[in-house]
Amino acid sequence: MSTTTTSIADNRTTTWPAAATPSINIPSPSSVFATLLRSDLRTQWRNRRASVMVVLLPLIILVSWKGLVDKLGGAFVLSNCITIGLTAIGLMGYSNSIARDRDKGIFQRLRVAPVPSWAVMASRITVQLIMIMILTTLVFIFGAQIDHIYLTATGYIFGFAMSIVGGAVYLGLGQVVVGRIMNPETVNATSRLIYIAFIMIGMFGELGMLGKEIGEMVKYSPYGTVKRIVSAGLTPGTWNTDTSISLAITLGYTILFTWLGIKWFRWSSR
Amino acid sequence: MDNTTITANGTLPINTTATGSSANGQATGTPALLVEGLNVFYGAFQAVSNVAFDVQPGEIFGMLGPNGAGKTSTLSAIEGLLNPSSGTIRVAGFSTREEPRFARACMGVQLQATSFQPELTVSEILQLFSGIYGVDLSREQVMGVLSEINLREFADRRFGQLSGGQQQRISLVIATIHNPRLVLLDEPTTGLDPQSRRQLWHRIEAMRDKGHGILLTTHSMEEAESVCDRIAIIDHGKILTIDTPQAIIDNNRDRPEVIAASRKGKITLEDVFIGLTGTAIRS
Repeated sequence: MSTTTTSIADNRTTTWPAAATPSINIPSPSSVFATLLRSDLRTQWRNRRASVMVVLLPLIILVSWKGLVDKLGGAFVLSNCITIGLTAIGLMGYSNSIARDRDKGIFQRLRVAPVPSWAVMASRITVQLIMIMILTTLVFIFGAQIDHIYLTATGYIFGFAMSIVGGAVYLGLGQVVVGRIMNPETVNATSRLIYIAFIMIGMFGELGMLGKEIGEMVKYSPYGTVKRIVSAGLTPGTWNTDTSISLAITLGYTILFTWLGIKWFRWSSR
Repeated sequence: MDNTTITANGTLPINTTATGSSANGQATGTPALLVEGLNVFYGAFQAVSNVAFDVQPGEIFGMLGPNGAGKTSTLSAIEGLLNPSSGTIRVAGFSTREEPRFARACMGVQLQATSFQPELTVSEILQLFSGIYGVDLSREQVMGVLSEINLREFADRRFGQLSGGQQQRISLVIATIHNPRLVLLDEPTTGLDPQSRRQLWHRIEAMRDKGHGILLTTHSMEEAESVCDRIAIIDHGKILTIDTPQAIIDNNRDRPEVIAASRKGKITLEDVFIGLTGTAIRS
């Protein structure tokens, strides 16, 4: 069977084999998202050593600060560890994986398929949200087992929710880094620098070791606001106006970073 | 997902049905690809200028040009990776601008870089892309597809552990896993040894025989002459000529610049290419 068709480019008539007329299949966005998520979770699992490194530092701090729990309070210690973990997930885990896959052309390969762009990113962010949940759960378990920090059920639930809200700030910040910087090695170096700066200035600044001015700056920095809402979430009875302001600032940071990150982001590094 | 019909040996038949929204709007004779008046600008620089061509079902169409001639920009515009400044692109009748998801569902793409997660195994990558294209493949069907390309024993091997030729074969099978009307191959044989290259040519010809329209870019004149039914030579963003390889040679053999480019007395496609695009080395 053959079909006669006219090629418009040179106006000639050619005989070609019969053209197949297959159905055009566009899976539903939810089906595509589920497929991508399954694949991204597999990739995350195969890279589990990197994931372990991300949660290792908060757990080390949790163990080594055992003697400070009585002095600083259980909520302070837990919120510090969770905030450090959230910073690592957003800055080191998320931005580095996006930069690497962009450089390898993995996103471009997906974008030439009938995949909505939002599904590609939503799948990546979902993986990081799962990482945040794992981190928070591990901190709660280690806190109870090693430091004997026990919270109320409301504290665990509210603290969990604040971890996710706080994690969004760092995912947004990671998006800004990967939006501004194309080279994956530079992304890696920059995210490490910001991570260390956040930990050193945030932790010591909040403890008042860097002076009053730095302490005030830290209070309204992404580190300070996230730490405060997580801490108040763990002990809901301590939630006050200051915490509500911190929550509002946290949401503001999230919106700002996400907007800038999306605005600057390019799917290809070439 | 519904089951996609797959033959006993695991190959994908030409008429498959799967899930999701579907349309059967293509009339026989609709070009696999139609490009009209395509212009692409990068700032003030015009990379593609008024390019027009078509690829018919069951045709291998080659695009030749020196580095920076506009091949990749043209291909990227067809793939939807960049927005052209003006012009029309239709894949199996679907406008890439107005119905991008339908247009993308009708095309299979092999990019220059084999761009899959290196941590995933070969079978996992096949399942990922079959899911994305709405083709439901069981493990047995995946193994059948891999048998077709002699990679069955590599099903559980991570993609990053495969050789370049093996990665190319996987990439090609993924480009056609949803049985697309149009297959875009960006320099598919670059870096392959002669055996792998010949094997790939056979696979491309087999795809043509099944009715796929194929657009490939290449720097290899041998490849263009051996495989392509028609070729376009593009330079400085403009198409200089479109025809069968032999017709292009015949129509240009008497041009002084082509004769000057000839090295062995006999005019080849490469001589015509050099004659039309010049001898200067491009960046």
